[in-house]
Amino acid sequence: MERKIRVLVAKVGLDGHDVGARVVARAFRDAGMEVIYTGLRQRPEAVVEAALQEDVDVVGVSMLSGAHMVFFPRILELLREKGGEDIVVIGGGVIPIDDVEELKRIGVSELFLPGTSTDSIVDFVKARVRQATSAQC
Amino acid sequence: MEKLREEFRGWRERAAAQPERRQAFRNDVGMEIEPVYTPLHLEERGFDYVQHLGLPGEFPFTRGITPNMYRAQPPNIRVYLGYGTAVDTNQRLKKVLDWGAEEIQLAVDLPTQVGYDSDNEMAAAEVGRVGVAIDSLQDMEEVFRDVPLNTVRRVSMLGNSFGPIALSLFLALGEKQGLSPSEYVVDLQNDVLKEYIARGTQIYPVEPAMRLSADVVEYCARNGLHHWYPLTICINHINAAGAGSSAGAGFALANARCYIDELLSRNLSIDDFAHLLDMFVDERDDFFVAIANIRATRRVWAQMMRATYGARNPAALALRLTAYAHGRETLQEPINNIVRIAFATLAYYLGGVQFLYNASFDEVLSTPSEESVRVAIRTQQILAEELGFGNTVDPLGGSYYLESLTSDIQRDIMTDLNRVTDMGGSMNAIENGFFQRRLTEGAVRRQREFDSGERVSVGVNKYVSKVALPNTPFRIDWEVEKRQREALARVKAARDDQRVKETLAAVHAAADRRENVVPTVLEAVRAYATVGEICDVFRSIHGEFKNKGHF
Repeated sequence: MERKIRVLVAKVGLDGHDVGARVVARAFRDAGMEVIYTGLRQRPEAVVEAALQEDVDVVGVSMLSGAHMVFFPRILELLREKGGEDIVVIGGGVIPIDDVEELKRIGVSELFLPGTSTDSIVDFVKARVRQATSAQC
Repeated sequence: MEKLREEFRGWRERAAAQPERRQAFRNDVGMEIEPVYTPLHLEERGFDYVQHLGLPGEFPFTRGITPNMYRAQPPNIRVYLGYGTAVDTNQRLKKVLDWGAEEIQLAVDLPTQVGYDSDNEMAAAEVGRVGVAIDSLQDMEEVFRDVPLNTVRRVSMLGNSFGPIALSLFLALGEKQGLSPSEYVVDLQNDVLKEYIARGTQIYPVEPAMRLSADVVEYCARNGLHHWYPLTICINHINAAGAGSSAGAGFALANARCYIDELLSRNLSIDDFAHLLDMFVDERDDFFVAIANIRATRRVWAQMMRATYGARNPAALALRLTAYAHGRETLQEPINNIVRIAFATLAYYLGGVQFLYNASFDEVLSTPSEESVRVAIRTQQILAEELGFGNTVDPLGGSYYLESLTSDIQRDIMTDLNRVTDMGGSMNAIENGFFQRRLTEGAVRRQREFDSGERVSVGVNKYVSKVALPNTPFRIDWEVEKRQREALARVKAARDDQRVKETLAAVHAAADRRENVVPTVLEAVRAYATVGEICDVFRSIHGEFKNKGHF
């Protein structure tokens, strides 16, 4: 049987608005994925540790407080250091276009801004994980 | 009535034969809306003018809390403001006062809201971002430099998880400015229960946190601060996080009951403090539901105060309301948000709120620009003075539709309030995950409706234009964190360490004995103890809330 896609949904930093994170977590679960939600106020170190421990394919980070240019690079750096560079990192939140481009350049697979449908996020994750899996074979 | 009933039957058949553009018309709270409302709909709901409406300023206050409402005083124009360092915020503050802001709610950054100083590792990258950093009384002095607290109708701060500290900061700042507390008005949100449900800045476990919020109300009640607003019970965040506005009001009223029961257990009578409580209403998806929700919430409050708590003080029965006109704004084509915000403002106007702020059209992007803040203030001024909206009280009262909606919403609010009461109240409903489940279900429903196109967002899922998404017009400078840490280091170097230590020990002793902590916190604040240091005292006693990651 095909392995289920495993996703860690994380709230990083101090921002407590997690409606978006919870809705996306539900959408992943409804699409048949295994989902772990970290809850609020996680440090990048804790997110990366959970991602490795749970052996996830994808880390989805929700950030609304404006600190994205610090926390995304830190998560990518820690994943690389600890052997998690295969993990697909995606994000969602209020992020200016210039920053979106910069974050994609340094290794965030995709950023989903307000107004994105959950279906398109689910489709993106399925396609990207399939791609990564077939590349490994 | 009989003739109408007969005519209505025939009309219904003719109307049913007409094709409609949707299968059913529903509002965000899930009610199916009829094609037309008539006296028959009021009769069906047992509508009675005297019992359900009464006159403005009279029980059950459906039409408003004073006899002449906006003919005497339009809603206070409130501005939510704060970014970067205290000096940055002070400059913006002076500008908005020039434009006509009548009350100021200070936006504080996330580290402050969750009780970390700017030099704490947990604060990294968040200092001065979503609001101004307040580490100590020194920052408050800077924010309000050359702006005495009595130049505005009310001053305010969110301060949900550190209510006693927020109250003390304003008390100590007033002293510094040479004002007696009788000369200015402080308003604190201080509603920690809804943080666990919807907003997420909780620090401690639920019960001790709730007691800290109650301490603020008790302090005001026992110290003659009857013109202050120590606790605003919020529907706003609960609705936005997915509950819907009827359940939002029901859950918020359940939270109100939790605080009230705590205060009653402290040998206060309901008439000693109920007039100090107010609520923050909210509905973002339906203009008429917004108006009806406000009227229904006032009615439920008045009935609850009289029937459940036996309040006699008229001020305890008449619920004062705050609203924030926003919610449907989009990142796409942000100028359209001016229209959305103006109509939301109008709904709250027609509902009869006392304190009103409206969003800035670029708020969805980042900290608002000066121009957008000015437009927000002007929107209220235009409504108040140009178009006749305040000339008569409750102008839509008696509308068949609005009164039907108000009755139906009242019924739903009561259902949800009673459900929480039956499970032992809000603290239990937080612990057992009831609120979280209800909110996630609602948020998922809204998202599905948006994805399917049933819920239209112009420029986002319908009439999508190909214009590029705007970039952030206004950015916080990266130096803010460094400057704020330096300022904090100067405060720590200049203060009397011994006095800080002693005052913090007194806070510890008071909290340990389950006494009201406000007097000791006030001493610590006067000694320039920091928000983080005082919160650490409470952490050492109560521990921290463990988030369970329900979704």
